[in-house]
Amino acid sequence: MTDAAASGVSIRALHKRYGDTVALNGLDLHARPGEILGVAGPNGAGKSTMVKILAGEVGWDEGAILVDGQPWSDDYGSNRVAVVHQEPQLFPNLTVAENIIAGYEDTGWRWPKPGDRHHELFEELDVFRFRNRLLGELGLAVQQRTEITRALTREARVMLFDEPNSALTPEESAEFFRLARRLADAGHVVMLISHRLTELAAHSDRVAIIVDGRCVRTLEGPERTAENIAEALVRGLGEASAAGSDSRRGAVSSDAHGLELVDVADHAGVFPAIDLAAPRAMITALVGVEGSGAREIVRACGGLRRVRGQILVNGKEVRPGRLPARVAYVAADRAQSLFSNLSVGENLVIRLDREISRGVLGLRSVRMRKIAEELRTNFQVKSDGIDIGIRSLSGGNQQKVAIAAAVGRRPDVLVLEEPTRGVDISSKAEIYEILRRFVADGGTVLLFCTEIPEIYEVADRLHVVSGGRLSQPLEVATFADMEALAKGVAALETHGAALHAVPSA
Amino acid sequence: MTNVSEDIVQSPQVTTRFGWSRFGWARSTLARFGGVTLAVLIVGTYFSVRTSGQLLIGSNLETIVRGLSTIAIMGFGLTAVIIAAEIDLSFAAVYGLSTNIVAVLWLTHGWSVYLAILVAVVAAIVVGLFNAFFTAVVKIPSFIATLGSSTLVFGLTLWVGQTQNLSYQYPPTGAKVSKGDVNFFTHLGSAGLPGGFPEQGLWTAGLLLLFWFLFSRTLFGFRLKAIGGSRAAAEVVRLPVKKYVFLAFVLCALTACVAGLLDFSFVGTASPQDGQAYLFPVFAAVIIGGASLAGGKGGAIGTVTGALLLAVLNNGFALIAAGPFAQQIFLGTVTVGAVVIDRVTSRQRR
Repeated sequence: MTDAAASGVSIRALHKRYGDTVALNGLDLHARPGEILGVAGPNGAGKSTMVKILAGEVGWDEGAILVDGQPWSDDYGSNRVAVVHQEPQLFPNLTVAENIIAGYEDTGWRWPKPGDRHHELFEELDVFRFRNRLLGELGLAVQQRTEITRALTREARVMLFDEPNSALTPEESAEFFRLARRLADAGHVVMLISHRLTELAAHSDRVAIIVDGRCVRTLEGPERTAENIAEALVRGLGEASAAGSDSRRGAVSSDAHGLELVDVADHAGVFPAIDLAAPRAMITALVGVEGSGAREIVRACGGLRRVRGQILVNGKEVRPGRLPARVAYVAADRAQSLFSNLSVGENLVIRLDREISRGVLGLRSVRMRKIAEELRTNFQVKSDGIDIGIRSLSGGNQQKVAIAAAVGRRPDVLVLEEPTRGVDISSKAEIYEILRRFVADGGTVLLFCTEIPEIYEVADRLHVVSGGRLSQPLEVATFADMEALAKGVAALETHGAALHAVPSA
Repeated sequence: MTNVSEDIVQSPQVTTRFGWSRFGWARSTLARFGGVTLAVLIVGTYFSVRTSGQLLIGSNLETIVRGLSTIAIMGFGLTAVIIAAEIDLSFAAVYGLSTNIVAVLWLTHGWSVYLAILVAVVAAIVVGLFNAFFTAVVKIPSFIATLGSSTLVFGLTLWVGQTQNLSYQYPPTGAKVSKGDVNFFTHLGSAGLPGGFPEQGLWTAGLLLLFWFLFSRTLFGFRLKAIGGSRAAAEVVRLPVKKYVFLAFVLCALTACVAGLLDFSFVGTASPQDGQAYLFPVFAAVIIGGASLAGGKGGAIGTVTGALLLAVLNNGFALIAAGPFAQQIFLGTVTVGAVVIDRVTSRQRR
């Protein structure tokens, strides 16, 4: 084609499968030198697969990648493409300077020393003063700049930033974006992958929306606003799921609060003192990007973070240590909610105690099997009996086991973190059904969620969290459609970020 | 901009979270001075006073140097493995294999001592390669690979040594052992030097210099440290991880071989049980010397200082005849204490 197509990174009809899961389904993407290309997409859309392929960590099945007109190969590509990870991949026990030269020492057998060209780069990236300090002692921002410096030393052309500022302070973030712009101006190809739509809108020249392994839209010029990105994201998802059950609308709104936080503040300072009330017989969702504090608030309700303040369950205060007895918590990562060495049945009853044993020694195995069978049937876990290993189930069925095990203990409150991450569509619907049934029986559900369609489908009300603070509750039923909800949430996130970026005195 | 970056460096949570900042002065002193050096001085002073100076007389210092040599020499090799974030439990068995190979080939079968030593060295290298192969290629945790090879090598030693003790000064009847060989082997490790300095000490000094250079002045040392610091990052930068793991394990086996032969030369006898008792003291010396089992940290000077501490403790308790229990209890305390001090001084690194 033209010269413009020859330079930069061209991804053409890229396909990648992991077993039965399609990670990339014909991804087309073009990143030009001199611009910042933003990449947005929900969890599981294939962004991280794309990053891994470009970094040379995994191969691909079909399609082509061209870097400056040349096909990507392990040798050629891995030197030209540099990935700056969310958690920098560096040596904490070496100094900043040593980190940069590791692997490219050029000093024969001797202990390596940085040369003049390194010093120039150190100055340019403002790491000169830290060059002789141990990397592990330095903050994330400096570590990140070290990783960028290392990429520049080996003359990388393409800089891939994967959620670069999720753990940076607002000032550090601003500094980071200035640097990213400088890199682009110097003729590098810069790709920015982020969940923070506001920042994508503000700092990239174009924003590519990836849903289900394909680029569904590219927003350019004045179109790229946070609201438009959010809308494009849910529209892409909506086409994929197109479900939308309205059975829950107009659910009984009760005044009784199943879970209440009064003046609860995180011990490590992730969120300041907040109040939150999750009514009984309702599903309440907290929405917020990584680093907003939403995930941490939910984890605190599960008794997994040290907090100060009062937590009430069904109107009675519960000491943090006693929380697990009343509140059942299901982590997002199935490695944290399931035991991979146990069978399906054992996983289903693992949270029970008196129901399955007399004292410490008298394990009632017949009863255990009976309860496990019941739970498996009730929660529609599709498996060949309860004796097979949990790992042989699909992701969706594993997640159903995790939730069934939590509900099986009859808690007052069910707290879930991203309950349908990496779950197929039909299992998603069944999981929503489980949650709906749980609240219909008078339970309380609090969930942390990042996907608008999920909230639209399952939640009764939601709070948007940004900068550790909660918005006023929004009733999902008051939004006309998914796009309206997406716009509303995006507006609150932007608004909140602006409000809390500079904490007032 | 400048201010912001300075703030990042002095990240307040890190220093105040556990209240260690109050002991900041103590920590920095310890870090600079070296907690182990301090411990050696304290322990040395204590025993000097308790024994009214006996600890410091010439012949006793000789004993201390000999005691530290065996541990330090093996410790250098183990340090290489530990810097690379691996572990080796088989070096003590290699020590025994080496002494028994030399004793049996030389004394029982009448080989030349030079050839016997060569075979022992090759055997050690083979064990090192075995460990590295299962760790770096088959990807079995090195703890398990070397636990296996340790037992395996001990079995070989029992087979080779036929469960008998062999002495080169009093060779078995009928054995033809040349005077020249005995002379050479005696001078390997037990000749007295001017001033009564034990020859093993000279070996230790030489190896200390070699390993110090290797660990802190060569590309090998640099990359070994990097690989131990983060395997993931090493893969990203495409460092030759496998090659370095091989080198580290071979070095460790070789130092065990050297330590075994030097001890054989000094003690005069080889028995199949040789070396078994050194496993834990050598680990203790390396860890006390500042190496981290998490990898990426450690050095030759630290290891030799750790060995010195153990040797002084050992000798001091023997002199005051405190009974074996006191020594063991103290050694245990010192080992845990050294790691605690290490964690305190490197708290910031987390």
